[in-house]
Amino acid sequence: MSAQLVSLWMAAVFGVILLAAFLLFPGFFPPMPPDLTAEQVAAFYAQHQAMIWLSMITVNFCAIMLMPFFMVIVYQMKRMATPTQVLAYAYLSATVSGATLIALADLFWLVAAFRPDRDPQVTQLLNDLAWITFTVPVGMIIAQMATLALAIRLDDQPRPVFPRWVAAFNIAVAVAVAPSAFAAVFHTGPLAWNGAVSFWLRVCAYVLYVAVMFFVVRGAVRRQHQEEREQEERTPLTAAAGAEGVAP
Amino acid sequence: MTAASPAVPAVSAGRGGRRLLDLWACWWVFPPFYTLFGIIFVPLTRVMPPPSPAKPTAQIVLFFHAHALTIQIGFSVLMLAIGAGSVLNGLVAYQMRRMTVDPVFAYTYIATLAVGAIPGCLFCAFSFLAATFRPDRDPHLIALCYDLGLLTFVGSLGCFATQYLIFAIAIFLDRNKIFPTWLAYISIWQVVTELVAIPVFIFTGGPFAWNGAISFWEGTALFGVYIACLIMCVRKAIERQQPGERVPG
Repeated sequence: MSAQLVSLWMAAVFGVILLAAFLLFPGFFPPMPPDLTAEQVAAFYAQHQAMIWLSMITVNFCAIMLMPFFMVIVYQMKRMATPTQVLAYAYLSATVSGATLIALADLFWLVAAFRPDRDPQVTQLLNDLAWITFTVPVGMIIAQMATLALAIRLDDQPRPVFPRWVAAFNIAVAVAVAPSAFAAVFHTGPLAWNGAVSFWLRVCAYVLYVAVMFFVVRGAVRRQHQEEREQEERTPLTAAAGAEGVAP
Repeated sequence: MTAASPAVPAVSAGRGGRRLLDLWACWWVFPPFYTLFGIIFVPLTRVMPPPSPAKPTAQIVLFFHAHALTIQIGFSVLMLAIGAGSVLNGLVAYQMRRMTVDPVFAYTYIATLAVGAIPGCLFCAFSFLAATFRPDRDPHLIALCYDLGLLTFVGSLGCFATQYLIFAIAIFLDRNKIFPTWLAYISIWQVVTELVAIPVFIFTGGPFAWNGAISFWEGTALFGVYIACLIMCVRKAIERQQPGERVPG
C-alpha cells in the first residue's frame, strides 16, 4: 500500500464524512440569509446548538484530512513533463492557504455557537465572519485550478499524467466559483452568500470537482504503480533504487 | 545531493531547447498583481497609508461609511486575485531550488508565505468587509473590525520576517549567484522594518503607532522598492536559465 493509495482512501472516507457533516449543518439547507436580524441569528444559534456542534466539530476534525489527497496532486504535477516544477510549488502554496480558510470559517461558526446568551450583535458579527471567510476567498482555489490546468497543458509526453480534458474541467470549475468573491457585498440575489451562484453553484461545483478529481488522480496513481511494476520486472536490481529516488 | 538524486525520468527526457513557458507564465503574474495590490490597498480600501488608531469610535464608523463602496470593490477583487501571490511564492521558491543551497530554505519560503497570506493580508479584508456589510452594526463592533483589520495587516510580523531572513541567507550561501547579493541586503532591511513594527501593538499615537512615521512609512516605502527589485531579479534569473537545466525537486 503506497502513501498515494492511503491518501486516496483517506480522501474517499473523509470526503463522505465531510459531505454528511455539511448536509447536517442547519445553516446550509437552506443557507442562512444574510438579511436576518441580529436577534434572528442569535435565535438560530440557540435553537440549533447541538447540530452545529455535531456538524462543525466534524468539519473541524475532517476537513484537513483531505490534505494528503491534494499532496498526491502536487506529486503527480511533479511527475509531469513540464519545462520546470514551478507550478507544483505554486499549487502547494495555494493549497495550504486555502485549507487554512476553511479551518478559520469553521472556528467562527463554533465560537458563535459557544455562548448562546452572548450579545446578539456579537453573534451576528461572528456569523458574518464565518460566512464571509467560507464564501468569498475563492482566489486560492482559482490559483490551484489555474496552475494545475497549465501544468496539464504543458505536460509534453505521449501519455500525459492527467488526460487533457482535466485542464478544461479545472478552468470550468474555477469560472464557476469565481463570482462568489463578491458575496460580501450583496444581501440578496444570486451573489449573496446564500444565493444561487455564491452558494449553490459554488458548493455543487466544488463537490463535483473533488469527486471527479478523485477518479482522475486514482487513474494516474494506478498507472504510475503499473509502470513501476513493469520496470521492476525488467530490471529487478536497479528498480528499487529508482523507485526511492523518484521523490527527491 | 543535487547530483545524486535522479530526476523524474519523464521530466528529464527531451527537455532541452523547450522554452521555459511555465516560468514565464508565472513571472507575468508578478507586475499586474503588485500593481493591483497597490490600487486595492492605497486608493480603494485606504489600508495604506493606514488611518489613525487614535480615531474615536464615531469617527471609525464614519471612515467605513465614507469608503464603504471602494472597500467592497477593492477587497472583492483581492479575493479573486489573491491566489496570484501563491503563484509568486512558487516562482521564487523554484529559483531558490536552483541555488547551491539545501532545499530547506526554498520549502520554508513557501511555508512562511502560505501562512502569512491569511493573517497578514486576507484577515484584514474579512474584517473590513464585515464592517462595511452592516453599517448599522453596534459602533463598538465596527471599531473591533477596524482594529482586527489594521493590526493583523500591519502587525503580522514573524511570517514575513522569517521569509525575508531565510531568503537573504539563501542568497548569501548560494554559489550559483541566482540572485545578486544586494537583494539579500534589501531583504535583511525588510527584517528590520518588521522589527520596528513591533510597537504597533502597544501605541495608539506617535511615531510607533501603526500609522506612525517609523512603523509604517518606512516599512511601506521599502516594501515597494523591495518588490520592484525582486520582480527584476527574478526576471534576470529566468533569462539566464538554460531550458534543459536540471533542477532537483
